[in-house]
Amino acid sequence: MSELIQVGAPNQRPKAPRADELNLRFSPTAISELEALKTHYPDLKSCVLPGLWIAQREYGGSLNGEAIAEVAHRLERSYAEVEGVATFYSMYNTHHDVGRHKIEVCTCLSCHVNGAYRIWDYLKSKLGVGNKETTPDGMFTLEEVECLDACDRAPLLQIGDQYVGPVTEADIDRILADLRSKSDSTVVQMADEIVKVHLRDGNK
Amino acid sequence: MAAVASEVELVNISINGVALQVPKGELIVESVKRLGLEIPIFCYHPRMKPVGMCRMCLVEVGFPGPDGNIRKMPKPQAGCTLPASEGMAIFTDTEQIHRDRKGVLEFLLVNHPLDCPICDRGGECPLQNNTLFYGPSTSRFLELKRHLPKAFPLSKYVTLDLERCIQCGRCVRFTEEISGDSQLAFRFRGASMQPSTFELTDFESKFSGNVIEICPVGALTNREYRFRARPWDLETKPAICTVCSNGCNIWFDHRAGRMVRTNGRTNEAINEEWTCDRGKFGHEFYNDSNRVKHVMVRNGDALVESDWPTAYDAIRMAFAEGGNRVAALTGPSNSNEDLYLLKKLFQTRFNSNNFDSRWTTYLPTAEDDLQKKMGVSMVQNTIADFESMSKVFIFGSSLADELPILFLRVRKGWFNNGNKVVVASDKPTDADSFAAEVLRYRTGTESTLASGLLALAVEKGLAQVPDATRQSLSKYTAEHVSDETGVSVDALHRAVELVAGAGIITSHGIFNTSQPQDTVETLAGLAMTTNGSFNCYALGANDQGALDMGVVPFGGGMDTHSILQGCIDGTVKALWLVGCDPFELHPDYDLVEKALENVHFLVVMADHQNGAVPFASVLLPETAPAEQDGTFTNMERRVQRMPQVLAAKGSAKPAWRVFSELAIRIQPETPPFGPADCMKEIAESIPSYAVADYANLGGEGVLIR
Repeated sequence: MSELIQVGAPNQRPKAPRADELNLRFSPTAISELEALKTHYPDLKSCVLPGLWIAQREYGGSLNGEAIAEVAHRLERSYAEVEGVATFYSMYNTHHDVGRHKIEVCTCLSCHVNGAYRIWDYLKSKLGVGNKETTPDGMFTLEEVECLDACDRAPLLQIGDQYVGPVTEADIDRILADLRSKSDSTVVQMADEIVKVHLRDGNK
Repeated sequence: MAAVASEVELVNISINGVALQVPKGELIVESVKRLGLEIPIFCYHPRMKPVGMCRMCLVEVGFPGPDGNIRKMPKPQAGCTLPASEGMAIFTDTEQIHRDRKGVLEFLLVNHPLDCPICDRGGECPLQNNTLFYGPSTSRFLELKRHLPKAFPLSKYVTLDLERCIQCGRCVRFTEEISGDSQLAFRFRGASMQPSTFELTDFESKFSGNVIEICPVGALTNREYRFRARPWDLETKPAICTVCSNGCNIWFDHRAGRMVRTNGRTNEAINEEWTCDRGKFGHEFYNDSNRVKHVMVRNGDALVESDWPTAYDAIRMAFAEGGNRVAALTGPSNSNEDLYLLKKLFQTRFNSNNFDSRWTTYLPTAEDDLQKKMGVSMVQNTIADFESMSKVFIFGSSLADELPILFLRVRKGWFNNGNKVVVASDKPTDADSFAAEVLRYRTGTESTLASGLLALAVEKGLAQVPDATRQSLSKYTAEHVSDETGVSVDALHRAVELVAGAGIITSHGIFNTSQPQDTVETLAGLAMTTNGSFNCYALGANDQGALDMGVVPFGGGMDTHSILQGCIDGTVKALWLVGCDPFELHPDYDLVEKALENVHFLVVMADHQNGAVPFASVLLPETAPAEQDGTFTNMERRVQRMPQVLAAKGSAKPAWRVFSELAIRIQPETPPFGPADCMKEIAESIPSYAVADYANLGGEGVLIR
């Protein structure tokens, strides 16, 4: 909400991009995937969520205005409508640019009593960033999340589409080292997995 | 309607113990109105789909149990999403409901700032009213309120104050359901949910002003009106918008002689309750500093202040020759009374038929009249007709710009009833977004496209035409038309099914294209032969009235173009411009400039300074529409009365009074004493206006056919 600042004089307000001003970045694969997904639903509006997952993958893990505008353009929706959907769901990274790996720490009840905040503080000091912040090298983003529905494995982390837990400080050192050596972004990989699930679901 | 009503199934419900029958599925929030009761609401709006977001309309609901006693549901229900069903018992006045309402309002006021004393909405605010009637008198909330930037300029017209937003979603639903531009959406969620445009860019809508009016708090406010008045200081009078020919009903709010704002006024036949931005924010000129206030007469190079008798004498002298030597041109917002008396003055005192109210490139002649030629009226449908018309064909008009309220009605028909809309236009239009078929033709090929559609309709057996017509259409094969217009053959084939029998909408803007008469006649023929209807709507506020009053030179006079040409070559010696700026209205700027330079005597009658004033021999101040009593005929030929709202500026007079005063100076007679007298005379001499009388022009107005 801090972005709500006065932007210029009322008569010189920034305008939303016209269709021909958009910088479309979907790859041919992404376009064909979107076309396939469109056939799964009775109308294009229903395709907004999977469309945003494709965009999250294509735009390197987060959804900026351009990504949202591209999805809206391809699905013939208004920009505002798609932005409203994207900002509603927390798994779409619209609030900030995420790093290559997003470490989500569950701090709900079961994890809490099993030492989630010890893990959380350790991660914060280890990475030198706070909640919803990214390390300067663009490697890690740290985020505190609500219940991940795996209380048997508390304290629990989610990294990409994988649950890790129960974890100790020693595990974290090892996990961070593993992630550093990984060449692929787990954030993009997760988006890709979800797109694949969407594509598969339609072929049942 | 009666047939439809009888098919509706009725159910027995009871509200607070009073038994009544309502249509099955009617929302409870509407049903209670039948008993004169009221449920407090915020998010519910009768013209939009219910969402149940604010929970203000909670009611207790019960059904009779096996023992006959009412068994209430354990929790209250939202009246705005609850359809009536058999046996339902509603309670709106129980202690439980009073407590619930208090609770809802207390929650809404947790974050709503109590800045009512400086809020534009203060005094006319549903939140204020509901809190007063149903809310708690004190708050138990001691913590800090949510703080967000205030006075964010969402657009040129709309200011957004997020702190005041109660997240009812009325504005968001308006842009989705009514105006259709979907410019607003809720971003984020929970307590941070905020209605806004994409990335807070400019709110670009042709109907953005309405969200200010439907906002139940002061979150969306009018930039023009911001901090200019408190509602209780305003005088509010009913008026008619004179910006375009839709004739929307508005509330005209003024204070100390100044126009402050206009709001939509409900008229189910025309604008329902909406306004367009062009109209809502188009009345600022009443306060302009360049209003013409005094009579000016030319003395050498300068216009010097004078008085009415001097001006009348000068005009009498200059117009004495009469006949083809004098002429008058009128503008779009003169009332029927003005126009009728102008025509009468010219015909009876100057012996002239040189007057015209039309400014298009092509001016239809008396022989072009569709009524005489084909027996087809140029205006066959009302605005409300398009709601239930299953097929609509918009031809060559950007409806949202030219006739915004008709656009909303056509869109409503599509949104609610699934009406099929075909748009034929040379440029992208707002109606494309919901059109079943868009025919994008090359500019200048209007007549070919119309003929092509008629030919195709004949070929497919959708239209029956005489053999001669069939012959003349034979060259318009689908391939030929497609080559000429750039519309694909497939699109033509798909469109013709929808166009046959459709209500055709086009506007007088069509007369600015090439071969407009052919186009209009073909479209009228298409409508006639396929049992559709044809409409060629006027665009200026009272252009239709001017046609009805006969301010067209069909009695042997000169039309607009020949009058201006006559000024140049000296055949027209004296020209009277009535409330019009020819530089703005006429397509040929140079012609106008030459004409005004060369004409011997020019009377400019205007309510504000315009391009013609520097050329004037006599400048007469005219009252603006809201400064005089008068009637206007909108594009569907509905005559509506606009009572005087503001006082006349300076020595300005209504145009009809000027014409009448001048007429009795030339030849005495009993003048009309007021606009109502003028209307009596109009009703006597123009048969279709016989039904119009000042006594019955209130309400929804009178439809002329």
